[in-house]
Amino acid sequence: MTSPAVHIRGLRKTYVVSRQEAGARATVVDLVRRRMQEVRAVDGISFDLAPGEVVGFLGPNGAGKTTTLKMLSGLLHPTAGEVTVLGRVPWKREKAFLRQITLVMGQRNQLVWDIPASHSFELNRAIYRIPQEDYRRILGELTDLLELGPLLSKPVRNLSLGERMKCEIAAALLHRPSVVFLDEPTIGLDVTMQRRIRTFITEYNRRFGATVLLTSHYMADVEALCKRVVVIHHGWLLFDGDLSVLVQQFTQHKTIVVQLGDCDADLKAYGDVVSCSDGRATLRVPRSETAHITERLLADLPVIDLLIEDPPIEEVIERVFAQGNT
Amino acid sequence: MKGLAELYIQQFRTTLAMMLQYRASLLIWMIGHVLEPLVYLIVWSVVAGTGGGSVGDYAKRDFAAYFIVLMLVNHVTYTWIMYEFEYRIRHGSLSFALLRPVHPIHSDIADNVSSKVITLPFMVAVAGVLALVFRPALSPEPWAIGLFVPALLLAFLVRFLLEWTLAQAAFWTTRVSAINQTYFVLLLFLSGQIAPITLMPHPVRVLAQILPFRAMVGFPVELLLGRLTLSEALTGLGIQAAWVIIGLVLLRVAWRAGVRVYTAVGA
Amino acid sequence: MSYLRLLAAFFRVSLRGELAYRVNFFVQLFQSALDLGMSLGGLAVVFSFTDTLGGWRPDEVLALVGVYFLVGGIIGLMIQPGMEEFIESVRDGTLDFTLTKPEDAQLLVTIRRVDIWKLIDILMGVIVLGAALARLGGSIGLGEAAVFILMLVAGGFIIYSFWLILATLSFWFVRVENILVIFQSMYEAGRWPISLYPGWLRYGLTFVVPVAFAVTLPAEALTSRLSGWTLLGAVALAAVLLVISRGFWRLGLRRYSGASA
Repeated sequence: MTSPAVHIRGLRKTYVVSRQEAGARATVVDLVRRRMQEVRAVDGISFDLAPGEVVGFLGPNGAGKTTTLKMLSGLLHPTAGEVTVLGRVPWKREKAFLRQITLVMGQRNQLVWDIPASHSFELNRAIYRIPQEDYRRILGELTDLLELGPLLSKPVRNLSLGERMKCEIAAALLHRPSVVFLDEPTIGLDVTMQRRIRTFITEYNRRFGATVLLTSHYMADVEALCKRVVVIHHGWLLFDGDLSVLVQQFTQHKTIVVQLGDCDADLKAYGDVVSCSDGRATLRVPRSETAHITERLLADLPVIDLLIEDPPIEEVIERVFAQGNT
Repeated sequence: MKGLAELYIQQFRTTLAMMLQYRASLLIWMIGHVLEPLVYLIVWSVVAGTGGGSVGDYAKRDFAAYFIVLMLVNHVTYTWIMYEFEYRIRHGSLSFALLRPVHPIHSDIADNVSSKVITLPFMVAVAGVLALVFRPALSPEPWAIGLFVPALLLAFLVRFLLEWTLAQAAFWTTRVSAINQTYFVLLLFLSGQIAPITLMPHPVRVLAQILPFRAMVGFPVELLLGRLTLSEALTGLGIQAAWVIIGLVLLRVAWRAGVRVYTAVGA
Repeated sequence: MSYLRLLAAFFRVSLRGELAYRVNFFVQLFQSALDLGMSLGGLAVVFSFTDTLGGWRPDEVLALVGVYFLVGGIIGLMIQPGMEEFIESVRDGTLDFTLTKPEDAQLLVTIRRVDIWKLIDILMGVIVLGAALARLGGSIGLGEAAVFILMLVAGGFIIYSFWLILATLSFWFVRVENILVIFQSMYEAGRWPISLYPGWLRYGLTFVVPVAFAVTLPAEALTSRLSGWTLLGAVALAAVLLVISRGFWRLGLRRYSGASA
């Protein structure tokens, strides 16, 4: 059993913030005595990542995803709990540790703004002491995978958001880190660009075997990339496992789409009729009865075509979060 | 070591590229550095004129020499890291520096030196023009010229290290402008930028001995002007070296403490 | 009259906004005190070696310092903030909001932002000025006071026009805020009487960046140095510049409105 690339046990991060209430009387009181309250950003989470895994870290805004990532990359000191990445304690910020990780933050740039990205790349090469040969090779591969060619000589401020993100990702991977933390890398990008970056991450993981922890609140990111998801809400974990299991666990329904000749038949007996047009009916049925109802449909009606689907993942996730709120 | 050298070279290229974008800002920066010593040069020349030719042992042409050299020395030793640091912390870009396996000071030194390399030719040209206009009296001994180079280097190090340390204040407060301004006023009075330290009142002269400001600017100027004996010059170099060591220690302590605060709260 | 009402309204809004940051009062107080200390320190050192500086007595230069802070405060209070915000608004497009308002755009842009705490500088300047005049002993007659105020107003309008012309350039060029920084640097030269400087510098500080009109000339008015002709010239220049700057402004505005589709 190889040791995990990322190991987290009972990780906790609490902030103490001053509490301010509205209203004149409260303002006066505040001047005299500041009330503090504790905010639990991360409230005791535990999970491991095996080397080479690509894991999605899902949660709504403010759930604690970014805080966790910052603790994993050494930017934040945990309040309690145990965390090691590649066997090292992140917040010690040892040079050997920093050389093996990378953090890409979706809305922040490390690239120097007014000059072409190639300058920032060269700077990173010097900072991470990447040998010339390796640098040329990895730059070539990244340029291919991300289609960077024409972008590298333009000042970063002249690039579109998507182009800038691609360059940011490339800059972060030049030193071939074995652990890659991506914090909302596709946020604000158009659908095509999102897809391209997802493809890149998959390909990168396949080629270089890097461990990838990706946070997102876009389901499409997670669906495309990760077999395993970890769901966090209000600072604690709601789920850790296969995406398909998540769907199964949190939905009690399945959707049956059945193509008939017309919509005359009364389908209420089979399940909730969500919609019906041109003979194409969508039914919502209890998960446990799916096989049984399908049998009956096929036996009773002139079915032209039949399809069984899980409900959309968004719906699933919302249900997971809703459950987390209770 | 070779790794660091590579970093400095790359930072130089980056800074050069950035400066070419910001030509106007460069110009304005230099205007400020020229105007201030020029104003004091003129004021003191007028005083010398009404005072029977000289003030203390500074005649008009001595003042000219003093302030023109001062202009160059101040320019070479100048840093802006205090403002930049506060900006980094406020915008969270310090996080990127913390993710890197090198101490951020290297980038900053490289950036600072690179900027000077680019602007120095212009400053020297301006100094040349001012020399033609004000006719400075400058005839130092060869040994003074020889010692001037290490003195200038040490002055840069003292100023950079101490100002970098001071910049760490941004970890604890957002009101760094007040701290910075206090610092600059002290620097102005105690480093010889308002007037040669020997002309300042006694309390100021005493303070200048124990504080590092003279080591940052005034000392190299006095040295090049030939106003120090050899033993005074060597003592001065020693004092500079001592301040470099103090600066390194303070820097380490402040940076460690700052990072601890930053990683406790995050940004 | 509606101008004054508008000005009062903006003042009130700025005040209320700033009062939420009371600490800024102390910050400004500290910084201004430091600045003044630096000025006075420099003065003290210089006058420890001489009785006159280019014909100016110590208390006369002190009066100059008072005017320096007074005028600097006025610029920082009502001229600079508005112009800086205007330049920014051209860049990020928020100027359009101003242009759709039913008041004259130039007026709105000018008075929209007020840096309340600069009142400290003005107060400081007045106090220093008062102290200097008291020490000078001679009584300031109504006539001299009037001339001083007139010169102050003329100088103020000259500076305002100067800033407006520079700010209007942002309709054509992008990075204009850098030019404003030059003004700051050159204004510093106004701490000392302009008459000290060699001809070329004096020229620059009068006609290129009008520091002389802002600081030295009003101080000269108080120290009986101002000739009637200079006063007349300054007033005339103020009037001319106000007209020119407004014309330039309207030109820029037409270009802006025409250019933005």
